[in-house]
Amino acid sequence: MSAGPYNYSYIFKYIIIGDMGVGKSCLLHQFTEKKFMADCPHTIGVEFGTRIIEVSGQKIKLQIWDTAGQERFRAVTRSYYRGAAGALMVYDITRRSTYNHLSSWLTDTRNLTNPSTVIFLIGNKCDLEGQRDVTYEEASKFAEENGLLFVEASAKTGDNVEEAFLETAKKIYQSIQDGRLDLNAAESGVQHKPSQPGRTNLNGDQAGVKDNCAC
Amino acid sequence: MPAGNSDVYNIVQAKFLATEIVKTIHLNVSIVDGPSSNANRVLALVEYNSSHALFVLVSSRCPPVSFSDLSIETVVPIDQHFSCETEPVTEQNYVTLIIKYRQTKYEYNVEIGKESCNFAAELIRAKEVATDNKTNFTWLEKYFGTMNQSNRNSDPTMSDRSDFVIVRNEMAQAQTTNNRESRLKYQLKLRESEFTQIQEFTIFIGTWNVNGQPPSVSLKPWLSYDESPPDVYAIGFQEIDLSKEAFIFNDTPREAEWQKLVMDGLNPNAKYRLVALARLVGMQLAVMINNQHYPYVKNVSFDTVGTGLLGKMGNKGGVAVRLELHNTSLCFVNCHLAAHVDEYERRNQDYKDINARINFKRNPQAIKDHDQIYWLGDLNYRITDLSNTQVKTLLIRNEVNTLLKVDQLNQQRERGNVLLDYTEGDITFQPTYKFDLFTDVYDTSEKARPPAWTDRILWRGKGIHQVQYRSHMEMRISDHKPVSALFKSEISVIDPIRYRKVQEDLLKWMDKYDNEILPQVTVDETEVIFDLVKFREPQSKEIIIANTGLVPADFEFIKKHDEPFYCKEWLRILPYAASINPGEKCEIRFEVNLETDVENLEDILVLHLKGGKDIFITISGKCQKSCFTQSLSSLVRIQVPILNLTEDEWDQVRKNNTPVRYSVPRELWLLVDHLYRHGLKTRDLFESCALHEELIRIRNWLDYGSQDPIPGTPQAVAETLLLFLSYTKEPVIPFELQDICTAAANNFENCRQLILMKLNDIHRTVFIYICMFLQELLKYSKDNSYDAKTLASLFGDILLRDQIRNSKPQASRGKANFVYNFLVNDLSSSLLPR
Repeated sequence: MSAGPYNYSYIFKYIIIGDMGVGKSCLLHQFTEKKFMADCPHTIGVEFGTRIIEVSGQKIKLQIWDTAGQERFRAVTRSYYRGAAGALMVYDITRRSTYNHLSSWLTDTRNLTNPSTVIFLIGNKCDLEGQRDVTYEEASKFAEENGLLFVEASAKTGDNVEEAFLETAKKIYQSIQDGRLDLNAAESGVQHKPSQPGRTNLNGDQAGVKDNCAC
Repeated sequence: MPAGNSDVYNIVQAKFLATEIVKTIHLNVSIVDGPSSNANRVLALVEYNSSHALFVLVSSRCPPVSFSDLSIETVVPIDQHFSCETEPVTEQNYVTLIIKYRQTKYEYNVEIGKESCNFAAELIRAKEVATDNKTNFTWLEKYFGTMNQSNRNSDPTMSDRSDFVIVRNEMAQAQTTNNRESRLKYQLKLRESEFTQIQEFTIFIGTWNVNGQPPSVSLKPWLSYDESPPDVYAIGFQEIDLSKEAFIFNDTPREAEWQKLVMDGLNPNAKYRLVALARLVGMQLAVMINNQHYPYVKNVSFDTVGTGLLGKMGNKGGVAVRLELHNTSLCFVNCHLAAHVDEYERRNQDYKDINARINFKRNPQAIKDHDQIYWLGDLNYRITDLSNTQVKTLLIRNEVNTLLKVDQLNQQRERGNVLLDYTEGDITFQPTYKFDLFTDVYDTSEKARPPAWTDRILWRGKGIHQVQYRSHMEMRISDHKPVSALFKSEISVIDPIRYRKVQEDLLKWMDKYDNEILPQVTVDETEVIFDLVKFREPQSKEIIIANTGLVPADFEFIKKHDEPFYCKEWLRILPYAASINPGEKCEIRFEVNLETDVENLEDILVLHLKGGKDIFITISGKCQKSCFTQSLSSLVRIQVPILNLTEDEWDQVRKNNTPVRYSVPRELWLLVDHLYRHGLKTRDLFESCALHEELIRIRNWLDYGSQDPIPGTPQAVAETLLLFLSYTKEPVIPFELQDICTAAANNFENCRQLILMKLNDIHRTVFIYICMFLQELLKYSKDNSYDAKTLASLFGDILLRDQIRNSKPQASRGKANFVYNFLVNDLSSSLLPR
């Protein structure tokens, strides 16, 4: 029985990582609230957001962990990678240093997550074209060489934000369908929630029609 | 456990955690006052950690085939507030199990037998062992969250839950994920008009009391009276079988026979499908729908209620079918109310009983909660105060309206005694009762009952328009004529595109809400910086956590991955976990006490909100060096107080890059020398507790240096000496040598060899130096009252101190014996380095 329209069938855990000030929390906020958060304070810790999306007719609850980017917290935030099904690795296209640090973030991600974790590279602040410090081509090449999905996005305008989160989920869902992602593995970052039988829904669950019928 | 139940037992056990043991179960339980056919409850006695609870589960299938068939309806902790009794039900093969918990009462019918006896006995036993009122029932909390919302609302026994402390906790934690579905349903209902449109459906309602006559004629003249085919048919019969068998066993071949006639009689211009057929003794109700609409029918359910003999037999009563057509809920009730002219009050009562007792398994469960209700049947209301002749005369004169004024149903409805809020169309047809069989002639028998409109159709709800209301005189096999009504009814049809949009909207809104109800706190300071921290001089700083969210916030400091503890050993957090209510604050104190050599305080704490975010709190501070906590080998390399060294000099000393200046640390010599001169005759030298300030003064005197004498009494200096020796980086006898030392303790020569061979020069010198001082002390034992044994056990614990500090100091005989050797034997100069 497929899930009703109200229930989600899966929970995917995401982490958002990257240097301080690249806009990780703003991306999360844009995704969950559809709003740009100006003057967003630095994240001191790990923020938590959730949203239910739909992939191939399946409702999926995204559980998103937005980590502090400051270098001094690096050792602590490493413990949050475990069990992430998706990792959004963010840099700021107007600050080359944040791009230069990607390889170190990538090393952490590869070391601390499992091989099936989907890593999505996001070049944030693409609305600030005039201050661009990293070309699209260069980042695109980096993503290709490392097997990462890649978009440039803007947490301010919302451009490509939805896409990045959804594409990641699609990719994870594909891995489940292909059997590459073992749901039973403790660290897969995915929980399957079989919906409860006996519940019927507005879309016409025909299984329910007959069972009280004396015909 | 009765054999054969073991499969079900396993299914029930699967509903619980492995540590929550299902002790015994009882199947086929029904709620008292619920329909007896509804024996779909399962009772389970569950034990966890020697506390028991009674679970009432509703099974969607009987018996359940999978644990997902079961949903938890009620949870009752078995403690001192729990009681259980059984009460036999007169002339029935079941008993009532009465469960009381404080003021709440639950009643269940169970079949008399071994199963019920065992179950009741187990319950009582569980109650007996629950006398200890400290039993912890927190394990039940999670189950209160799983109880489905509809049960919470509809079960009257659940309405007064104020006694359940556990339930309150659950609600306070705002476990909204569980009722997400209900919330969405509710919101969808509120916005229904946005995604539905009205579509008119023709509904044909028919009712006929067939007087027990065999089904022998075509029903086409009745059911296919109209040319265009209706969308829905609801056809009710009364008295299809008046035999005793039908009455007692509620089983009759007539059901199928009549139903076949119905199906054959439906309008030939469309194809119909049976949606539901309900029957109780002679009352039968069938709902058919045009094939093309069948896919939009859902949640079909029916129930029957007997109001006849003894108030419950099926010779009178009602049968009802409910369903949802598109987005409108429909309910059809076919009734046969009490007979006889004078019994109108009985009929009113039957009507009330039917309403009260019909209980569909689907929501809504009661008749009254449906969007549209069609009430049909032989209501049996007669014409009062007029004789047979008077009625007949008026009928011949066609004064129907005069007669309708004295119709009991109209009178009772006007008085609000029955079918309140229902509407009936204008009656333009002749009374449908009572005819001589096979004729259109009213009763010519001796009884000569006056004609009456016993057979009626009424409705309640929005958007119902009656277009026909008539009798069918040509149907002559019964003493009643059939009646039919045709309705144009407004059915709300979902527009899938708009529905989806509203649903998406709501989901988004709920996502937002879900984020908003995450626990939220603010912390006034995430950087806690301590002033210069000094050895054994505790400091504390406070931060304030304010709950700025909508739900209580449970916080806890959690350990970082790969670290053994949630904070460093020099830090204490008070409280390290607590719960803060919305709008309230909590002060957290960080206490630093330095007892090891730490250059800088640095720690990142993870303040975790249960079910929410984590906040990092950085602890930092500079530490002041002290001669305490240093290694002997460093100390012997410095000639000046430790704080007089530059960072560079100290760095070189620590790396042992500078020459050894003294054979024992300067500080040790200062302390011992002071005691040698001023303390040898002091009674209880080592056993008095000095003031904290005094010790700090002596510490500062040692660390900063001063021309003044040591600021403290001999006792304070003695305690400082013990502290000094207790906190050196390594004990005087290093950890790795302690076992062989204690093993050798009963032989001085072996001990001497160990000291000579294993200990490095610095440690050996310090050890011998202290022992010689103690020997000196023993020379004055008359004054200071110390003997060798006492000093040996005191210093054994310090010179050979345990690796883990704070472990309860316990005099080790081996350590004491080892040191004792060196207090009572001559420490020849051969022990000292050459």
